[in-house]
Amino acid sequence: MTALAPAAAPKLESIAARAPRRRASPERIAAGLTIVALVAASVWALVDIDVSIAGIVDSWGNAERFFERVGTITFPEPAELVSLTALTLGLVLTGTLLAAVISVPVAYLAAGNTTPGPAWRAIGRFITVLTRAVPDIVLAMAFALMFTLGSLPGILAIGIHSVGMIAKLFADAIEQIDEGPRLAVRAAGGSKLQEFTSGILPQVLPSWIATVLHRFDINLRHSVVLGYVGVAGLGLEMSHAFKSLNYSLGIGIAIVMFVLCVVMEIVSSLIRRAMLGAQPTGRGLGDRFVRRVTSARPRTRSTVADASADAPAKVGAASPADLQAVLRRPWDGTRIRNVAWLWGAAAVIVAGVAVCDIHWADLVTVWAKVPAVAVQFWPPSFGSYDWATMSAALTETIAVALAATLLSFVFSLVIGSFAARNVAPNGGIRSGARLLLVGIRGVPEVILAILLIVITGLGSQAGMIALAFGGVGLLGKLIADSFEEVARGPERALVATGATRLQVYASATFPQGVPALIGHGFYLIDTNLRAATVLGIVGGGGIGYYLLNAGQGSNYDVVTSIVLMILVVQLVFEGLAVWMRRVFR
Amino acid sequence: MSTPIIQVAGLDKSFGRTMALDGVELTVDRGEIVVLLGLSGSGKSTLLRHLDGLERPTSGSVRVLGEEVPSLSGRRLRRLRSRVGFVFQQFELVPSLTVLENVLTGALAGLRGPRLGLWSYRRAQRLAALGHLDRVGLLDRAYQRADTLSGGQQQRVAIARALMQEPEILLADEPVASLDPESSEQVMALIREIAADAGLTVVCSLHQVDLALGWGDRIVGLRHGRVVLDTATEGLGKAEVMEIYGRVATATSELEAIERELAATSAATEASPGLRDADADADADPALADEGAR
Repeated sequence: MTALAPAAAPKLESIAARAPRRRASPERIAAGLTIVALVAASVWALVDIDVSIAGIVDSWGNAERFFERVGTITFPEPAELVSLTALTLGLVLTGTLLAAVISVPVAYLAAGNTTPGPAWRAIGRFITVLTRAVPDIVLAMAFALMFTLGSLPGILAIGIHSVGMIAKLFADAIEQIDEGPRLAVRAAGGSKLQEFTSGILPQVLPSWIATVLHRFDINLRHSVVLGYVGVAGLGLEMSHAFKSLNYSLGIGIAIVMFVLCVVMEIVSSLIRRAMLGAQPTGRGLGDRFVRRVTSARPRTRSTVADASADAPAKVGAASPADLQAVLRRPWDGTRIRNVAWLWGAAAVIVAGVAVCDIHWADLVTVWAKVPAVAVQFWPPSFGSYDWATMSAALTETIAVALAATLLSFVFSLVIGSFAARNVAPNGGIRSGARLLLVGIRGVPEVILAILLIVITGLGSQAGMIALAFGGVGLLGKLIADSFEEVARGPERALVATGATRLQVYASATFPQGVPALIGHGFYLIDTNLRAATVLGIVGGGGIGYYLLNAGQGSNYDVVTSIVLMILVVQLVFEGLAVWMRRVFR
Repeated sequence: MSTPIIQVAGLDKSFGRTMALDGVELTVDRGEIVVLLGLSGSGKSTLLRHLDGLERPTSGSVRVLGEEVPSLSGRRLRRLRSRVGFVFQQFELVPSLTVLENVLTGALAGLRGPRLGLWSYRRAQRLAALGHLDRVGLLDRAYQRADTLSGGQQQRVAIARALMQEPEILLADEPVASLDPESSEQVMALIREIAADAGLTVVCSLHQVDLALGWGDRIVGLRHGRVVLDTATEGLGKAEVMEIYGRVATATSELEAIERELAATSAATEASPGLRDADADADADPALADEGAR
């Protein structure tokens, strides 16, 4: 009661002195300091890479000079362009499908509710981590040694590297199913395999297809980099053009690739929407599969007679003849749609595989070459490079990743906040911000980086800007979603006290979102580390440059050591992220 | 008399430190319609799941259709399960599949390997499934997605799926707990009709005493994992019914409501006082004596 009474100032002070201070745990302090150190390092990296207004103006001059020198942009011959595009799409499609097929058993092992046991689960998880960790470029290099010609190295590189992400998301989908239908199949005496196909598969199929389409987009963007290590398609032609200093053709192909990525992204998101919207793709795919296995519907009189004999004696109102009539499924809109989807998908897949012109025999003969190739990659060594060169290159790559993350973070926080329903002042601004993020995500950043690097002639600056730009699309969406997920109560409470919109944001929304922000930040660092490595391959400097050089000079032991170096750095940041998530829960 | 179709003896089941079933004894003869009555958490579902081999007992014996269920595994367990239909409270249909394909999954035990899509089932099976759908009155919904149906319709589809197994026993776990009163009535009536048609043995768990009284031939009451009651429903008098409530239910409000209802109906039963008296004597039953001894 006395607390409500107005008190004299000195008394209040003594009350403040009596309030116990919050005990800061050493771990929290350490984690906080780590974040401060990371931000400081990122700022330093940003300064070191020299991204300034003056620099950008300078690069504009470079670009002008570049276009003066290059003249007009040229494209490949139409016929060649079509065949290259078809080859690129077919290769990426086949590789992604291969990954999807491999991912099904891996996901089954890795998902907590389907795995036969903890040991199996560990194996499944290990496969997903391992396949994601080895860069597809390195896989492509290794496979190029085993398969002399053809599209198999690219398909296998995409196929194996993508297993990591696809199997992980497949397993997540399995873990989220409703266990009921599966239990019902078990209760009816179904086997494990039948439980999977009849109880689980129909539930996860829409999500699985969405995952595969999403990965297809990623792989298509990445295929341009695979071209640098000899995987056929638009990427290879582009790298050839740049290598022979035919910049006008190289830029032309890059633009084609850019447009192709954007168009395919739109197509795949339209498919995803149409599919997840309402109708049962599950049964649809089943229909296709089955119609191929079983031939046409049996229509002979004898089968009909058998059927009616087998039919149960007790039927309701319908006579056996009525049932026969119902047996023929009506061609309603749903069925027509499903069948159209099926045959469309089947046609695309067949065409995609056909266009790759796979040398199937290679798959048999290749095993003999594995030991010889493995020996070339092991033991790791630095070859003619010394430790100082390599660590400097690695530092540059890390610097690019950190600087890009910092830039993305600042812009994403602004755009992402406005894209959150509970932060945006009105629906228009929210939709605008969301649309902006979708637009940014649609831009293939690797190709943007290639264009910027080639045009401005500035390696790491241009690459970093491209990465930072792409990062905004990803991080902005994650931040917006996280802000929308915070508890609404505190916001309402502050609004009720008469706080302004900005005050509510600062005191209720933002503090609740901080753990998520930290998590997303580390996720972006992880993504950017991979991307920064790739930038080196396309001319952005850093460790990727040495990776490409080592591969082209057949110094595969150097490739191994570079991959190991990158892995160590990634593991360090992964460990930091896990730690942060625990501390700032 | 032939050997009982279900014989449970000394069945204990504990999940961690909680005792879900504690020395359960249950014998069901072929063709009986038995209600397992009890509040949620009394062990009804756990007992039913043991009968289908979906749970393994901590100790005790579960004999169903002449097989010792806990000792079965693999193919033999699946064969037993295929002879026992199971209807779930939440229906457990695959929402994205058609009604017909959901019914067909009841036939999986008799098929080798996985099945995807309607056409992977034999024509005879598709016809049989349509017949079962007709039996539950949903033939016209055969090609709709399962999740476009109402709750009561979905439960009828689930019953058709169980019929697809051509079962000898039908287990139903709170089949109407998620349904509105009207659908509940339909579904319960349907189960009884089908049981009568096919000579099925039915064990159905319920938590509403009034529903159980009007529906089952025999009531087995469970409380805290123990069988506290085992009695035929025919000709039960008011005193016995109140006794059932006392043993099975705990909520006094429910008790009072039913008491009022009974006061109204007992006027009708009053007409045959002789029967009542006889029953009252007979119902100084062993279950009561057991409970008293404890």
